[in-house]
Amino acid sequence: MTAALDARELRVGYGAAPAVRDASLRVEPGQVVALIGETGSGKSSLALATARLLPAAAEVSGRISISGQDVTALVAAEFRRRRAALIGYIAQDAMAALNPVMPVGRQVGELFRAHRGLGRSAAARQATEALARMRIPRPGDVARLFPHQLSGGMRQRVMIAMAMALSPPLLIADEPTTALDVSTQAEILSLVSELRTGSGSGILWITHDMGVVAELADYVAVMYAGRIVEQGPVTAIFDQPAHPYTEGLLRTRADLRTGAAGTPLFQVAGSPPAPGAEPAGCAFAPRCPRASTVCTATAPDLALVGDAQQAACHHPAAAAGTAGAAS
Amino acid sequence: MARTLIRRVGYGLIAVLGVAVLAFVLEFVVPGDPARAIAPRAGSAEVLRNIRLQLHLNQPLAVQFADYFWGLLHGNLGTSYVQRQPVATLIGQRLAATGWLALAGVAAEVVIGGALGVAATMFRRVRVAVGAVNLVLLSLPQFVVGLALLLVFGFQLHAAPVTGGAGAAQIVLPALTLGLVGAPWYAQIVADQMQDSLASPYVRTAVAKGLSNRYILRRHVLRNVLSPAITMVGMDLGAYLSGVVTVEVVFGWPGIGLLAVNSLQNLDRPVIMGTVIVGAVAVVAFNLLADVVRMQVDPRTRQELT
Repeated sequence: MTAALDARELRVGYGAAPAVRDASLRVEPGQVVALIGETGSGKSSLALATARLLPAAAEVSGRISISGQDVTALVAAEFRRRRAALIGYIAQDAMAALNPVMPVGRQVGELFRAHRGLGRSAAARQATEALARMRIPRPGDVARLFPHQLSGGMRQRVMIAMAMALSPPLLIADEPTTALDVSTQAEILSLVSELRTGSGSGILWITHDMGVVAELADYVAVMYAGRIVEQGPVTAIFDQPAHPYTEGLLRTRADLRTGAAGTPLFQVAGSPPAPGAEPAGCAFAPRCPRASTVCTATAPDLALVGDAQQAACHHPAAAAGTAGAAS
Repeated sequence: MARTLIRRVGYGLIAVLGVAVLAFVLEFVVPGDPARAIAPRAGSAEVLRNIRLQLHLNQPLAVQFADYFWGLLHGNLGTSYVQRQPVATLIGQRLAATGWLALAGVAAEVVIGGALGVAATMFRRVRVAVGAVNLVLLSLPQFVVGLALLLVFGFQLHAAPVTGGAGAAQIVLPALTLGLVGAPWYAQIVADQMQDSLASPYVRTAVAKGLSNRYILRRHVLRNVLSPAITMVGMDLGAYLSGVVTVEVVFGWPGIGLLAVNSLQNLDRPVIMGTVIVGAVAVVAFNLLADVVRMQVDPRTRQELT
């Protein structure tokens, strides 16, 4: 089966400091891959690079295939014509990501006018249908409203309607529920899981919310300082995180759920390195409880630690006992 | 919306009235005797007294004030001390000339400033040049630009008339003067708004939708640039209609500005008051009009105003 997204050795740099280093990622059709990490870990750069939405100043290298189509080989004009049918992009803040002075129906309809060659009224009908598929009540009326007249949840539905309008094989969602309140967030999540079953699109979902990951994702990739440090099926990652950073991320969440009032919340000590100031060896070593001399000397590569789980760590948790005995 | 408009018109009337009262009081604070300005140079005390009697200048301020505003309430702007004609007629004769000049001047500003702003945003190479042009234009006073244009196009190239008057040929240079002096403001606002808009998430969305650059510029960027420019057009139209004094003097353009200057020199109080009131009404009316137009262009402002 062709992957919805197959990104190989992706590098993104802004001037001297690389934001993403040699990240490879696959999203299968119908699969939700959660890309998690702290602010500045490079997850948004990776996602935007995949959608070719980074500013011109960013240097991107690597190979990106979407549904078997090598999009890095497409020239700009050709990519522009095909991009909406290949990649749907859902932004974090739908209020800012929708044009404030254009009715939302027109904004959805533009896609059909530009790519399906439809006239104004046919595009409007298609737009209304697209809104209806997002379970927007009275879509014909909503189409005539401006973004500021809609609720946050409705705006995000419009955003998703645009992203899915041409049924692209890949959706990229950049923290689309972060700005929403909890109940609206739950509605959007259930809508998305319903839609992906129907459409078979693969979804790359960027988030730092472990709750969202647990609810929606099939597969998880953890980013730290521009690298993917661990990836695997969501159950494996949650049950047996191999990388100490993943462990730390999960503990912050576990404490929130089970921690008694008054006990301090766990947090990963220290802060991530500034771009361009990464230490030699493993970037996480300065914050890592398991760090040893090898960690500060050489950077670990991703290696299998379970059936389908990979971690970039010299002392992965699953093998912690043996590694401890050997040294 | 209708209720908002009525309220705004009400506020506008209060503002105009306030300006009128202030102007009336100021006329009396300013030293100078209208009777002396009107009387012949060697006029006797008798003549001066007759003039004062005739113009009610010997009445106390409160009475004159009441007389004037009673007349104003009935739509009567009074009679010119000097020209012995109703102020309304004098202003009416000149309003059209000033109106045309204001429109042509604002059009020139928008075209020149808009072009500079768009060029500075779209073409990196001319950005510095546009900035320099802006700075030069900003630092030049209107009369310098006006005189320079008059010298070059009027006297050197004989491409424009230098005789004054309010004809179609005569309007070019004064309008161009207003346009050149006003352009940097528009260039700046257009460039700022365009840069904001181009860097905005909604333009990124439009790019992700695979729309063409030209379409994105026309449909998504420019509509968002319009709103502040409209406000500025309204402010300029109002200001210019109250008389573009310098430009009218330099080019001998028979507009309200010229009338205002002459009436100030002669202490022709009713005419001064008339020009001030017409100016205030113009400022209020065009600001309101600009807001109404802006509501059509930018739906977000509809809520702001209510």
